[in-house]
Amino acid sequence: MALKGAEIMKKLPKTNCKECGCATCFAFAMKLATGGVKLDDCPYLDPEVKTELKDAMAPPMKLVTIGTGQNAIVIGEEEVMFRHEKTFFHEPGIAVLISDRESESDIGEKLARVKDLRFERIGNVLKIDLLALSNDSGDSGIFETLVKKAYETTDFPFILISEDMDALFSAAAMCADRRPLVYPITSDNVSASIPKLKELGVPAGVKGDSLDEIISVTSQLKDAGVEESIIDPGSRNMLDGIRDQTLIRRAALKKGFRPLGYPTMTFPCFMCQDKYEEALATSALMTKYAGIVVTSLIEKDFIFPLLVHRFNIYSDPRRPMTVEEKVYEVSQPDENSPILISTNYALDFFIVSGAIEEANIPAFLCIKDTGGIGVLAAWTSGKFTGEAIAEFFKKYDVENRVKHRKLIIPGVAKKLKDELEEELPSWEILLGPSEASDIPKFLSEEWKV
Amino acid sequence: MFQAPLEKYPVNIREVVLGLGEKAKKIGGENTFPFHFFEGSLPNSPGLALEVLDMQPENWATWALDPFKDVVSDPVEWAKRGVEEYGAEILCLRLLSIDPMGMDVAPEEAAKTVRNVVDSLNIPLIVLGTGTEDKDSKVLIEVARACSGKNLLLGPVLKGNYQEIAKAALEHGHAIVAQASMDANLTKELNIALCKFFPPEKIVVDPTSSALGYGMEYTFSIIESIKQFGLVAKDNMMLMPVFADIGIECWRTKEAKESKDQGVLWEATTGMTFLLAGANLVVFRHPEALRLIKNMIL
Amino acid sequence: MILIGEDLNVMSNAISQAIKERNAEPIRACVEGQAGNGMDYLDLNVGPQKKDPAQTMDWLVNTVQKFTDLPLCLDTTNSVAMEAGLKLCKKKALVNSASGVRESMETVMPLSKKYSAGLVLSVINDAGLPSDADERAASILESMEYANELGIKNEDIWIDPVLMPVGVDQRQILSYMEFIQMIPDLAPGAKSVCGLSNLSYSAPKELRGLLNRTFMVIIARYGQDAAIVSGFDEELIRLNKGEMPEVVDLIHRAMDEEDMDISTLSTKEQEYVKTTQVLMGKTLYSNSWLEV
Repeated sequence: MALKGAEIMKKLPKTNCKECGCATCFAFAMKLATGGVKLDDCPYLDPEVKTELKDAMAPPMKLVTIGTGQNAIVIGEEEVMFRHEKTFFHEPGIAVLISDRESESDIGEKLARVKDLRFERIGNVLKIDLLALSNDSGDSGIFETLVKKAYETTDFPFILISEDMDALFSAAAMCADRRPLVYPITSDNVSASIPKLKELGVPAGVKGDSLDEIISVTSQLKDAGVEESIIDPGSRNMLDGIRDQTLIRRAALKKGFRPLGYPTMTFPCFMCQDKYEEALATSALMTKYAGIVVTSLIEKDFIFPLLVHRFNIYSDPRRPMTVEEKVYEVSQPDENSPILISTNYALDFFIVSGAIEEANIPAFLCIKDTGGIGVLAAWTSGKFTGEAIAEFFKKYDVENRVKHRKLIIPGVAKKLKDELEEELPSWEILLGPSEASDIPKFLSEEWKV
Repeated sequence: MFQAPLEKYPVNIREVVLGLGEKAKKIGGENTFPFHFFEGSLPNSPGLALEVLDMQPENWATWALDPFKDVVSDPVEWAKRGVEEYGAEILCLRLLSIDPMGMDVAPEEAAKTVRNVVDSLNIPLIVLGTGTEDKDSKVLIEVARACSGKNLLLGPVLKGNYQEIAKAALEHGHAIVAQASMDANLTKELNIALCKFFPPEKIVVDPTSSALGYGMEYTFSIIESIKQFGLVAKDNMMLMPVFADIGIECWRTKEAKESKDQGVLWEATTGMTFLLAGANLVVFRHPEALRLIKNMIL
Repeated sequence: MILIGEDLNVMSNAISQAIKERNAEPIRACVEGQAGNGMDYLDLNVGPQKKDPAQTMDWLVNTVQKFTDLPLCLDTTNSVAMEAGLKLCKKKALVNSASGVRESMETVMPLSKKYSAGLVLSVINDAGLPSDADERAASILESMEYANELGIKNEDIWIDPVLMPVGVDQRQILSYMEFIQMIPDLAPGAKSVCGLSNLSYSAPKELRGLLNRTFMVIIARYGQDAAIVSGFDEELIRLNKGEMPEVVDLIHRAMDEEDMDISTLSTKEQEYVKTTQVLMGKTLYSNSWLEV
């Protein structure tokens, strides 16, 4: 929400009448700010004040949905320029571009390949979200064939691209139940597009050669009741793209400028000649505010880094990243290899497993789920205690993986040693180094079977 | 007519000079965020450095090794290849041989290697230890002495060894890489300690880089916040240019070892991301990753 | 401000050893020391206490109550230990703590109701730690509603906005200060409490007291009711008693960003001013904030 609780408070009656269900007007204001109650719950608000508050409380950047159901892409409603200020909320959609000028067999192959671009990483599914279907042939029949084929053989949401308005909306009508984005809506075709956009209930992909032009189009659309738009400032290269994206987001977030208060789309596929540059431009634009990136790339080696990149940048910095709970095998350990244990905070995991690899001594790394919090905090809250670890040992059958009975625990967890000696009486508990960087030294000097 | 919301900042990131003479490279000096040519001045393009090891690489993917495979037994030849064939404007000589858990090469010998590289190529040179405080200290002091006056960039300088290394750098006219681990407060603290006796315009800060998929976003956000503390909050101790040592991190990942394309993109994507955050000097391992970035940003 | 002494804590080797061995002497020294220094409550922190929770707490509460009449603040995540302690408290106890996490509301809140104890209620909920003042407000409103429905009155609730170490996330300190000023409107009748030492968790040992004391003065001005503090920081206790009005005045003036020539101040005064500036977010925190 754009307005802070304290600001909302200024507009409320301040009678603490409790009829909204909250103990005080202040409480009501707080709940409003975080979306816990509705404005209508207060029976004493002046209608003008209500409208004023409703407008002011609307997020500075619209939320836009392409697609429906579980494949829907939701973008927008961003709140910050820098992810460390809070977080980025909605991952940009990655769209693979398919032109209707391609041969039938090429199209068929591409559609199949895009479906295969699905990967798992630390418990998350990373994949392509959209197909951008482009009418380059100039023939509406050929375009429709492409859209129909994509519609029948895949369940991706679409971005429909055509300079021919009739072809564009006719294709949109064919797949309207999947809520496609229609592009481009420009100052030339906006008036004619409005009735069709409203009839189909689909979002508008707005294109302009200048921000002024975009502003004019989005304003006309909003006035006519078309609420959801995605804007393309038509950037020709990566650096221009960075500039345009930055200025649009600033205008929306810092100036509260509603005509630019929309998520954006970019076409790195048209910015570069070579696929390596395209991959870099795509990742750069995702880092710099793009709501949708349209790419021509479909090879795994090019798409996978992009998917991981998006996943990283759009992770919430306020929540610790976690890895899966399990017994990790580093460098192919055997029954005589050392066993270490730590928490599932991702960064710690990378550092510890990296240190073990560096030591060149194969080992088992037991990773216990602590909700991503570190060793000491996890011990205090009961998630990394002797009892919890003993349970882990049973669950993952740790005893049967090695012949020896030695467990190396993080050096900072001194209190844990006593607890574990009691919970696992047949095990010798070794206090490891306090710093992960000392693990190689520790393993090479202190570890003996 | 829409007025673009431009922002102007009243301070500059300090300019640090690497190397000497006509091949010297300046980094930093900007008064705005990375690539914001439309609202500020960025007088120096980012420094893009190519990595050279002082010993034969172990466990490198074939395609990482290919560009240098016939010269990896000789750091001077390796360095020359980097400059002459791959157009590197800055080199980063990583003294892996000094690792006490590895070959534990003596400081004098390591310094000799550095001197050989310096003598054979007139090009800005970064010289890095392995992060083991005591050994790095001895080696970098010896390197400083052996290459007195050559304006190298020496690092990593850490909380535990900054006094000795910075003193030697000051005495022999070198710049330093001050490294803190993923924490703006620690970066500031080290800078405060250094600036008591060491010129701030010869400090480059390293918040510690993590590769794509392995913590990249932590580094990204720290670099962005360092830029903000400097340019927006005008914190005098946060106006040093930022260093990102990415080659070694990216190429140890299993993803980089799966295919050449993926490996090069793994490194290039990480580098691009840090440049977008505000890194002023980036060390690459693969010349193709470096070239790719160079073509995109220059 | 109401002061709750924190030193009876299993993170201290001496105390955890004493508890393990059922050795009353170190407990006595700790209790009498804190009580003698003017603490209003004593916090008994036994950690997760997985081993013999009921017996251990029984012994500890009984032992402590031999040496003091002060009301006790029972600090443990273990409900069995908590209940055992509550049964034995002679004075109205303080349950430390419940949070907005569903399991905590369901298991801990009923205990404070059952034993007519006060309840420390943290702003943490199932989504984790709130990142700003508004999110804290939303969290506490929900958990207080739950508490009120159980019959726990606002007057028995001590809200803990959760103080983060200044070196971990400086912005959270600003959110903290913003939030406690909201409490009288948000939760009329409730008190605020914090673990003051958390603030300085990552700071150099010798400077922790300075951070803690400065912050205590700052939040006192914003209406903070209580704090869990070191029972042996004499200067903190004096400040709280009003015995150092010039220091308090200086901190207030620094908070108000009054023009002052810092060079005319004594070293100690300069330290308080610089510390205030850092805590108010005027400059980025670093462990060497006094040296700039």
